[in-house]
Amino acid sequence: MIFFWTIFFFFLAAPARRAILSNLRVVLPGSNSLVNLGRAWLTLYNFAWTISDAADHKLAKTEFAFVTEGAEFLDQLATAAGAILLTAHMGNYDLGAAVFAERFQRKIRMVRAPEADAETAQHLNDSLERAGAGAVKVAYNTSSMALPLEMLNCIRQGEIVSIQGDRAVAHVSQRAARLFGEDVMLPDGPFMLAFVAQAPIFPVFIVRTSFHRYKIIARTPIHCRRDERSRESVIEEAMRDWCRILENVIAANWSEWFSLVPIFPER
Amino acid sequence: MKENGHELGYAFALPRLIAWLAGRRARRAEFSRWEAYGLGILVFGISCVFAARTILPVVRPGLLRGLSLLLLPFAIWIAYLLLYFFNAQIVFLLRRLRLYSAPTNNPFQHIVIMSVTTLLAILLLQDECAWLKSLGVFWLALLALNLLSIFILKLLHEA
Repeated sequence: MIFFWTIFFFFLAAPARRAILSNLRVVLPGSNSLVNLGRAWLTLYNFAWTISDAADHKLAKTEFAFVTEGAEFLDQLATAAGAILLTAHMGNYDLGAAVFAERFQRKIRMVRAPEADAETAQHLNDSLERAGAGAVKVAYNTSSMALPLEMLNCIRQGEIVSIQGDRAVAHVSQRAARLFGEDVMLPDGPFMLAFVAQAPIFPVFIVRTSFHRYKIIARTPIHCRRDERSRESVIEEAMRDWCRILENVIAANWSEWFSLVPIFPER
Repeated sequence: MKENGHELGYAFALPRLIAWLAGRRARRAEFSRWEAYGLGILVFGISCVFAARTILPVVRPGLLRGLSLLLLPFAIWIAYLLLYFFNAQIVFLLRRLRLYSAPTNNPFQHIVIMSVTTLLAILLLQDECAWLKSLGVFWLALLALNLLSIFILKLLHEA
């Protein structure tokens, strides 16, 4: 079923297909355009599976097998008194947050880009909160000043705030960064939050490896410590570290990067 | 964080019994891609083969036959979507009558799909073509072995 649905959406969801293709051209420089069409199909196929798996987990409580890379960092995150979980539009981040919250009995505040459709937003909220047995709360990233203060409060109360840091949406704080040798705009909110709260940032990704199998990738935490340097330079250095991690993880898992809008400047 | 990525898990009793006979521990979980994709391809394949066998004798020109074969998998996909939708309506009705209480429609859908495939396999058994007959036999043998495995595993569990 998923195989055929992917074919269907591959032809019908042209903007998403074009976005994947434009991202692939940068992530895999020199790659063949024809082969990239196949890669775009595979990316959509994986995307379909992650949606199906998340629904399976939510409705039927289906069990998934997973391996971890950087388990020591996950353990640190689980015991951290307030932290930022920085991830990307990659693999099954919804399922990952729900499983993490459930296994470690930790509350997660998930910051997401606002949904264009109110009903979709409501459905997503309900799904995530149900999948995480109430431990996952969704907050939408808007231009409002209330959200950063709310998140700061959550971190200070020892909660984990999960943010996707691979794409900046309009009207949210962002700054220029270098990703795969290209100038891109990335959200700087997570880094400012880490600086103000003096909380560590844990880069975590969950990628699908096979049928009902996932790999959780956790990388060395990024710190935005106050020191003799200016706030700006601390944040910029942290963003550079984040970009190197992103490049590394995306290059190895390009078929799981579900950035369905173009990230890189048009050539 | 405790991993479970190296565990063996199968939804069906037959692979669990085979794993047990091979001295490996396997539990009831949907972890196997071979089982999931293999069964999916087999169910879809039997439906496609049956439909092709029914349609091809009435389609004469070679070009039209080729086109039919090309479109057949998509037609079967749409037919399955309709079947799933129809089943969902039945489950909806059963739920309203308080005759179905499972949290998802999966058990009902599973029984219907397995029954339809078994029916098609029985029809393939009556075909003159040897390989079509063997496809039917293969499905029925798998079904019988799986039912037998359920029984054996139950006995082993009690022992």
